[in-house]
Amino acid sequence: MTFGEESSFVLFPLGEKRFALPAAMVTELARPGRLQSFPQRTPLLTGVLARRGRIVPVCDIAVALVGVDAPPRKFYLIANRQFDARAEWTAIPVTGECELAACVFQEPGETLPPYVSGVIYMGAEIVEVIDLEQLIALEGQA
Amino acid sequence: MKPRLASAPPAAREDVIVFTVGGFSLAISACVVSEVRSLEGLQPFSPGPECECPEKVSFTMHRNGALYFVVDAARQFGLQEARPGRILILRLAATAVLVDTADRMAEISVLHALPQAFNGEERRWYRGLAMFGEDVVPVVNHQAFLAGSELAAVRSAAAAVHAKGVAVV
Repeated sequence: MTFGEESSFVLFPLGEKRFALPAAMVTELARPGRLQSFPQRTPLLTGVLARRGRIVPVCDIAVALVGVDAPPRKFYLIANRQFDARAEWTAIPVTGECELAACVFQEPGETLPPYVSGVIYMGAEIVEVIDLEQLIALEGQA
Repeated sequence: MKPRLASAPPAAREDVIVFTVGGFSLAISACVVSEVRSLEGLQPFSPGPECECPEKVSFTMHRNGALYFVVDAARQFGLQEARPGRILILRLAATAVLVDTADRMAEISVLHALPQAFNGEERRWYRGLAMFGEDVVPVVNHQAFLAGSELAAVRSAAAAVHAKGVAVV
């Protein structure tokens, strides 16, 4: 994505606020599934979903983005993450329905956290575009 | 270039023992477990603060003339709510594992790779994930319960305790 050019984004709500991911990395919006947890130590990961014979890790970014008062998550946004030469799905819980939008990708302000790769304008609303890998890495360092 | 999706590594059918710790179900290959026992015969293992022993080893037990160091699985996995009730004695190792229950034997035909998103200690703890219907259960790596250096430390401590004339048995 290049600043000043139009791209497609998936906007997702976390409580009162909406965030965005590049549409290219989003596979689908999934209905709530049964979260299955087991002992593990990876920050933000809360467990896995079994989906069509596939095991999908669940990465809950709500608390990192909007704090502990984040409302209950209702759906899962399935994102495709790249690990070296391998792609893998990760489910991101969101609190409501998502929207696909084509918008001009703008540079983020200097005051925004480093995991915000840019912003898009939806009327008067400024939506932060999240760099998922950067967010996860920062949480891992915290 | 189209990204290659992760696929499960091929695996032969494998018998596993499904056990619980702190409310979680886990599985271990049946061929690495020689015996499932009650808590009878456990002896406290208190090597002293100078020992660099892992805290997860809090008991020993003798079985068939061999000394076993008993790893508390709840401590291994950082769990609080454990209610130990069974011991898994591992084959070809001086290690036993304290668990809550040993529920059943099961057969798995596919061991799914742990997703790459998991990047913590669990990568060492688990060989992969098994699916029983829609239930996902981690299959533990038995060698992670007591690594070589940890085993050396507890053996050394046990020998020191024995030399002082304090019963380890």
